[in-house]
Amino acid sequence: MTHHTLQESRYARSLIEASLDPLFTISTAGKIMDMNNASVLVTGLLREQMIGTDFSSYFTDTDKAREGYEQVFARGFVADYPLTIMDGKLTDVLFNGSVFKNEQGEVLGAVVVARDITEQKRIEKELTEARVFAELATSIAETAQSKAESATLIAHDAVKAKQQFLSNMSHEIRTPMNAIIGFTKVVLKTELTAKQKEYLTAIKMSGDALIVLINDILDLAKVDAGKMTFEQTPFKLSASISAMLHLFETKIQEKNLTLEKHYDDAIPEVLVGDPVRLHQIILNLMSNAVKFTNEGGIDISVRLLKQDDRSVTIQFAVRDTGIGIRADRMAAIFENFQQASSSTARIFGGTGLGLAIVKQLVESQKGTISVESVLRKGSIFSFTLDFQKTSAKAEVDLELMEMDTAIKGISVLVVEDIALNQLLMKTLLDDFGFERDIAANGMIAIEKLKTKHYDIILMDLQMPKMNGFEATEYIRNKMCSDIPIIALTADVTTVDVAKCKAVGMNDYIAKPVDERLLYSKIVSLTSRPRVINITDQVAATVVGGIIRRIDLSYLTIRTKANPVLMMEMIDAYLEQTPALVIAMQQGLLEQDWTLLRASLHKMIPSFAIMGIHESFENMARKVQDYAGTQEKSEDMQGLVQQLADVCTQACNELNEELIRMKTS
Amino acid sequence: MTAKDQRIHLFLVDDDAVFLKSLEIEFSEAGEFIISTFATGELCIAHLDKNPDIIILDYLLNGIDRDAMHGIDTLDQIKTYDDTIPVIMLSGQDSIDVAINCMHHKAYDYVVKSETAFVRLRNNITAALHLKKTERTLKWFVDRM
Repeated sequence: MTHHTLQESRYARSLIEASLDPLFTISTAGKIMDMNNASVLVTGLLREQMIGTDFSSYFTDTDKAREGYEQVFARGFVADYPLTIMDGKLTDVLFNGSVFKNEQGEVLGAVVVARDITEQKRIEKELTEARVFAELATSIAETAQSKAESATLIAHDAVKAKQQFLSNMSHEIRTPMNAIIGFTKVVLKTELTAKQKEYLTAIKMSGDALIVLINDILDLAKVDAGKMTFEQTPFKLSASISAMLHLFETKIQEKNLTLEKHYDDAIPEVLVGDPVRLHQIILNLMSNAVKFTNEGGIDISVRLLKQDDRSVTIQFAVRDTGIGIRADRMAAIFENFQQASSSTARIFGGTGLGLAIVKQLVESQKGTISVESVLRKGSIFSFTLDFQKTSAKAEVDLELMEMDTAIKGISVLVVEDIALNQLLMKTLLDDFGFERDIAANGMIAIEKLKTKHYDIILMDLQMPKMNGFEATEYIRNKMCSDIPIIALTADVTTVDVAKCKAVGMNDYIAKPVDERLLYSKIVSLTSRPRVINITDQVAATVVGGIIRRIDLSYLTIRTKANPVLMMEMIDAYLEQTPALVIAMQQGLLEQDWTLLRASLHKMIPSFAIMGIHESFENMARKVQDYAGTQEKSEDMQGLVQQLADVCTQACNELNEELIRMKTS
Repeated sequence: MTAKDQRIHLFLVDDDAVFLKSLEIEFSEAGEFIISTFATGELCIAHLDKNPDIIILDYLLNGIDRDAMHGIDTLDQIKTYDDTIPVIMLSGQDSIDVAINCMHHKAYDYVVKSETAFVRLRNNITAALHLKKTERTLKWFVDRM
């Protein structure tokens, strides 16, 4: 061996020794001839111990190992042949080898490398595990989602079922209560002895109390279902409080208590809010105070806490010198069906719903409520509410609307299946002096409508055969009749009101029917202006020789006779119309068809609003169509003049009307 | 619950002051709306930052005042500002072309001014808000998948 080849051989050797993979040379007989240091480390044996031994004996599967090196000799090489080394850890390897030959080309042996693939195997295994896990997680997530969806559905159904139940229950209780209270009122109007009157009054009061309870339960259910609505109407706070306290005067005198009122004069006279709900809150707190106080008195204070340009915050406090509440019961008293102690109910009565409703009513309006109390000394319930300021006047008190006995001869069809209610409606309508007819269900009602003329229908909702909704749909769609229909309903949940409007009913009345409300609704719906005149003739009311152009009955109905709103509408008309008339005339004069068309376009809706006869509206449409064809027509000049005249006259009449309204 | 600020904020846009007032009165009756009224498209656009829940917009806003912004341009600007606000178009013309034009500009619906306009607007508002709510619920679920 030359010096040069020796050096090369040493270099090759050091490369082999440096390899981390075990490396062997084996003879054609499969005996180990040489190895590197990595092989020594893996097997844990000395080089001398290994040389000359069978290569295959170092693997778990000796037959497979033998086949492996036989392949090397047979084919000249082998690639990535998997085996497991018999070391302490049973290392998995991939075995690569190729033969080496002498200069004459004879095979001397083979060089084999065993690559440790433990790490690779581990990663592979983890990958598989991860994939399985991921698939599992996905399926779990999918199951969870479908569960959540079905849970939502179930919850939704449960809420619906609850509402339906409450709605049904209220119907079942209200229907007989309707008859009881109604007939009691009727009998109270007849001649009675003092005793009879007293007993009947007691019946009526009990009935009223029961209705209040049902309303309370429905209110709570509505709050739960998110259906509680709050009005935003202008009202006089001071008058409202005084009227309410008046209700308790008798009770307070009977119990020999004192009543004091402290009202902050800085509070604006008219506020915008929900007077009915406020009434309900204070009524509950006041009746508790009166109920639980046997000596001393009650003090109600209303204070202005803060105000800005748009709103005020007001604190209401009801203080009593009653039995008080134990400290450990203070938190519970605002919960449903809770009273300060279980004995309270036995002594004082009540359902324990009052304060729960008060809390809901206050908090739903973004207010706060709190209580302070000392046992046997008394309690203070106080709450704060925000109200909007307004420049508007308070709404007309509906109570002031007197029954106009002049209106007679309205013919009413009552569709109602329960005999008692039929009788009650008959009595009420006879009292009003109206003609009436009764149908026991929707089918009979439709038969009657085909043969006789009625001005209005009062329609019960829940009836056998054909219910109120179905009957109304039939009347509106199949019979194409626009006869006013008022729903009589015990279901006062918003859901049903929406349904009434959707099928085309004009209005609804909750049972037990308030006779004033029934009367005013019948009168306002039947006096609605209806299209009777089909001819092109100009019809109008004649007042003192001059034809009156405007008719405010539509506006009265739309604004519920609210003078503020009516005046606002009239103002809007008076401001807009003269300019439109000028634009119309200018359009015609300058043959500016676009302007002419646009001015009429804007004028048309106002005819119906101000009750100007529809022949003028048709006239305006005609001119609008002419303008659309961009041609001047013969009679256009005349039509525009007529329209200008009627608008000017309407403006004059409205101005007079406005003056009359402002002075009255 | 329809407490103060949970009421539906409604924009009414019409250059016809009389019709605008009558709509305002009809809508304020139920007490479930906060109503803002505008006589021009420009004013409506300028107040979009008040976040209306729904807009009722007259189609012909430049009838008398030729320089005023047209209803369709107003609609486009609203949709550019916030694509999710439902806009119901209102018009005196019962015309298929106008209706189609409005729908192409992403109006929610088209209602002709007549005695039944109010009822139809009410139904439309209910439907539009229901749709908006459903879309939000859907998005909520999609976001959590």
